[in-house]
Amino acid sequence: MSQSSFSTNEAVSLEKTVSRDQKPMETPLEAIDSVYEIDKCAQWIKTNNFHNVCLQFPDYLLPDSSTVALRLEAKLGEKVYILGDTAYESCCIDYIAAAHINADAIIHFGPVCFSQTSATIPYLIIHEKHQLNIENLKHAIGDLKTNRLIVLVDTPYIHILDRIEALKNDSVTICSADKIEGLSSDQKFVFVGEPGRKLTNIVFALKPQEMYWFKDSLHKYVMDVRVLKRRNYLMEKIRDSRTIGIVIGTLGVKNYLNVIARMKELINLSRKKYYIISVGKPTVAKLANFPELDVYVMVTCAMNEIYDSRDFCQPIATPFDVEIALNNSLNNITFSYDYNHYIEHCKTIEGSGDSTECEPDVSLLTNRIRGADNVEDNCGSNQIMLRSDGTLALNTSYGAGFLADRTWKGLEQNLGNTEVEKATEGRRGLAQKYENENC
Amino acid sequence: MQVNFTVDEIRAMMDKKKNIRNMSVIAHVDHGKSTLTDSLVSKAGIIAGAKAGETRFTDTRKDEQERCITIKSTAISMFFELQDKDLVFITNPDQREKDEKGFLINLIDSPGHVDFSSEVTAALRVTDGALVVVDCVSGVCVQTETVLRQAIAERIKPILFMNKMDRALLELQLDAEELFQTFQRIVENVNVIIATYNDDSGPMGEVRVDPSKGSVGFGSGLHGWAFTLKQFAEMYADKFKIDVVKLMNRLWGENFFNPKTKKWSKQKDDDNKRSFCMYILDPIYKIFDSIMNYKKEEYESLLPKLGIILKHEDKDKDGKQLLKVVMRTWLPAGEALLQMIAIHLPSPVVAQKYRMEMLYEGPLDDEAAVGIKNCDANAPLMMYVSKMVPTSDKGRFYAFGRVFSGKVATGMKARIMGPNYTPGKKEDLYEKAIQRTILMMGRYVEAIEDVPSGNICGLVGVDQFLVKTGTITTFKDAHNLKVMKFSVSPVVRVAVEPKNPADLPKLVEGLKRLTKSDPMVQCIIEESGEHIIAGAGELHLEICLKDLEEDHACIPIKKSDPVVSYRETVSEESDQMCLSKSPNKHNRLFMKAQPMPDGLAEDIDEGKVNPRDDFKVRARYLSEKYDYDLTEARKIWCFGPDGTGPNILVDCTKGVQYLNEIKDSVVAGFQWATKEGVLCEENCRAVRFNIYDVTLHADAIHRGGGQIIPTTRRCLYACLLTAQPRLMEPIYKCEIMCPEVAVGGIYGVLNRRRGHVFEESQVAGTPMFIVKAYLPVNESFGFTADLRSNTGGQAFPQSVFDHWQIFPGNPMELGSRTYTIVQDTRKRKGLKEGLPDLQQYLDKL
Repeated sequence: MSQSSFSTNEAVSLEKTVSRDQKPMETPLEAIDSVYEIDKCAQWIKTNNFHNVCLQFPDYLLPDSSTVALRLEAKLGEKVYILGDTAYESCCIDYIAAAHINADAIIHFGPVCFSQTSATIPYLIIHEKHQLNIENLKHAIGDLKTNRLIVLVDTPYIHILDRIEALKNDSVTICSADKIEGLSSDQKFVFVGEPGRKLTNIVFALKPQEMYWFKDSLHKYVMDVRVLKRRNYLMEKIRDSRTIGIVIGTLGVKNYLNVIARMKELINLSRKKYYIISVGKPTVAKLANFPELDVYVMVTCAMNEIYDSRDFCQPIATPFDVEIALNNSLNNITFSYDYNHYIEHCKTIEGSGDSTECEPDVSLLTNRIRGADNVEDNCGSNQIMLRSDGTLALNTSYGAGFLADRTWKGLEQNLGNTEVEKATEGRRGLAQKYENENC
Repeated sequence: MQVNFTVDEIRAMMDKKKNIRNMSVIAHVDHGKSTLTDSLVSKAGIIAGAKAGETRFTDTRKDEQERCITIKSTAISMFFELQDKDLVFITNPDQREKDEKGFLINLIDSPGHVDFSSEVTAALRVTDGALVVVDCVSGVCVQTETVLRQAIAERIKPILFMNKMDRALLELQLDAEELFQTFQRIVENVNVIIATYNDDSGPMGEVRVDPSKGSVGFGSGLHGWAFTLKQFAEMYADKFKIDVVKLMNRLWGENFFNPKTKKWSKQKDDDNKRSFCMYILDPIYKIFDSIMNYKKEEYESLLPKLGIILKHEDKDKDGKQLLKVVMRTWLPAGEALLQMIAIHLPSPVVAQKYRMEMLYEGPLDDEAAVGIKNCDANAPLMMYVSKMVPTSDKGRFYAFGRVFSGKVATGMKARIMGPNYTPGKKEDLYEKAIQRTILMMGRYVEAIEDVPSGNICGLVGVDQFLVKTGTITTFKDAHNLKVMKFSVSPVVRVAVEPKNPADLPKLVEGLKRLTKSDPMVQCIIEESGEHIIAGAGELHLEICLKDLEEDHACIPIKKSDPVVSYRETVSEESDQMCLSKSPNKHNRLFMKAQPMPDGLAEDIDEGKVNPRDDFKVRARYLSEKYDYDLTEARKIWCFGPDGTGPNILVDCTKGVQYLNEIKDSVVAGFQWATKEGVLCEENCRAVRFNIYDVTLHADAIHRGGGQIIPTTRRCLYACLLTAQPRLMEPIYKCEIMCPEVAVGGIYGVLNRRRGHVFEESQVAGTPMFIVKAYLPVNESFGFTADLRSNTGGQAFPQSVFDHWQIFPGNPMELGSRTYTIVQDTRKRKGLKEGLPDLQQYLDKL
């Protein structure tokens, strides 16, 4: 059989453009040693006497990975491993991938999140290195004219932290952005870095009086009210839902198992049903495979942009939304994408929080009644059902009930209803472009 | 409160169902319903007779009394005894129990302003008859027509009352013949409306109103007097030695009497006079003339002749005060009206016979249907809850409604079924005990042991399981009683938020209560998280917000400017075949969008074309009326959004493999896309999507929901973008009444607001003009105030949502008005600003 009947023209595959969000980046060879701090890495490995070391790169830094690995190997005289295509978020440390080779240490390159990790093996973080106009920063700080100011330095600028610290004086404190615990909120902050999700998370954590961000010039940070408003919708959606999908979106952030357990517990207490979904990196297509779910709750790193996406069939909520929506007794925690900010509080009220009460209620999404026990069942489960078509549970509002409403349920035989037809020749070629599709 | 009957007596009356009259009072705003109702209440003895006309008993809310408009409908039960001589007028054996003279009248006074039409709809559902009140000075107005039309459609029998006769006499100074002509015209107008919407050969029979039959009353609610021809016929019957019924016929219409020859004639001659003027209007005119012109001797001799004996303390009065007392003593309004009600309005026994098929969704021969038809108190319970009335206990409501069959009793266990209940399923079904049954009388409630069929009552303890309306039954296989169809739609919206963000939970709780307490308002959280209240108009929203702030949430509230909701549609067929590939590139959908023919979207709204129809019948209808291809029309996959909306998805494919397997996924994508259109995530309207071809991967695993649902949405979006997308905006129909001098000002205001007049006419017999116009809802904010200031306060509009219309201008064109609206809406919803990009949705092979 000729090859063409199995595959389409190879040109199609070669010319196919792959969509990507970030362009790959290649560091000039002479800069590699300093950007990736090869010496520091080698030193760290040697001091701790590690033998199976993984180097974790985000996708866009992969072009550099082999050079970095080769140079390290040369220094160590030992093999190192490259981790690419991180299972979830490349900002988190990928223990699971590292476990495949029984690694005893990980070195993480590229942008990093501030999520606490469920550290099982030691890791070293090598930050990116961006340039900064310190003169501008100095002027900007001066213009603020305040006597209590904290400058938070984001990770790409840590490498020049000592130079930034030169700006330190009585009224200005310099601080690395990953060590914000214990800072009091009643002062002004300047965040040196991009105004992205990281800054939002810091604002949620610190609740500062005033927040500015600096990158080339100083800007006032205005909290996007839409983020908080969207919670109203999601919480109502969660209260309305009967079936919730818990999506596993991390294996590296501390407490992720506890959060999943907490979600399960809350959903059970409010007499809803859940499915746990682990599909690797969640995409629109993957999550659209479960139309019987009303809403997803995603357990993942706080840097994940998926919460803002509107392309998914079902809305995607944070564990915070579920906690607040289903736990009436909890009202002293404030929103954060990072569940580690409040998970401690949730534990303390556990048990005392009575979220089982099923007072019927009006939904503000559909204006219908929700949440009550339909019927005081006295003829319920001990009823004898006629076994007819293999139906186990009709008339439930969960998955089985959903299936019952579908027009196509699977491979019914429909004997006598389906016309018998002779086999005809179908399409040829690969699904990507069949041979008879010309244009 | 002076009550001349006890709850026990009422309870006894409730069993005599042939002697029950359930009625609503309906009219245009300010035609005097509530004042008239008070005359009735005063007769039934709940408030003292002297206060009738001054206290509006049924306006229980403070703002109602301040504004002098009715906002919520109110129910009162009354008791009235007919005299023996009047009982003969009741000929139908089902209209009266043997040997029982007493009648229990359950009356619902409802608002006249169009914004509160939903209250009227709710009132009509639980009653069998309607007292239509018309101001004889302004005649039949838009709201009279709207509610009368609804009443006829619900099979509610009307009787007519011409109100404000005092104004006709005192202010307009019409002479007797002119007044007669005015009356006759109003009767004709009302009968034209009735004839348009009623089928005389139908089960309700003829429902025309006729003064000579006594089903039309005349008088003044404010002054507390009223009459029908029956009252005058009785006065003259002895004198003429003619039977009352015959005389009534002669006192109306083309009947003339010559006092000299004592001969009746059908034609007007020089020396004869119209009987109505001579025997009815002349005496009234004489009284008015003599008292208002202080001709003391004249009226002192006149009054005894008419059999009017004044109380001692009234003798010193003069002018208007005396006039009131005299007229009220001579022709007490309560007596005349209650007689009209008892004689001409149907008992539940009569009415439910022909109303059942309109009310019940289930088979017309099941136990529930038969129970309703016979108004049988021993049949299974069937009760319709038409609205929720707030109690003094915050957040709790009385469920107010009508028992159509069986008995509802305190403590009984019943099935509570919401509007989305379908027999055999558990959705929207609750089985709970009824805590208490109560009798609702204006401001007061009384507990009552049980209430049998044919009566109106309130329930305590079922409010938690119903939002606005529902069916209460004890019959396991019962279907729902039909949900009410409102004549108004919630097209005006405001976003609300608490002034203090910490009050958010209170706001949410308040919104839930508001949702329950108003028959039509919608309180929703949008995807952006905004709290939205949607109502019929500005006044409706204003009242809702006030209620929310003062009663339901009890917190200060910030509100946005009102906005209208738009619809997304297309104006041409897609200019190319739209192809979208699934994420795995293995499945391809080929579709196009096209606008629906005019009228089809409305047919779907009204349910003339709906997803539950037999597909063959539907296809025939579509092919005959809209010229749709018969085979295609048979393959309508679904309606959307929400499975019932005015967009359709048609399968135009030929011989595609596995197509049935992806139908559910395509439908899901269609529901999603029509709910959130491509321009600014507003609902789609009047779009037909055609699927022309589909290529699917041979393995089921590669053509699952995950591949097909998002792809369908993308493809439909591409279809919309290639078919000249447009926005649609809601349009009000406005009716503005004003004197001729003000008409010019109206045109000016309408022009500035993109409105256009389609009819202008003089109200016959009055100096008033009626201007009818279409006005975009978007332009209607502040319209009333604007109109008043431009016409010296002489024009008053009544606006009611009429239709959706394409907003001129291409929303994809930078700088057009619709572009701005799309961008504003996107911004409000937190979407990416800018135009949707076709390339994002369209793929190439």
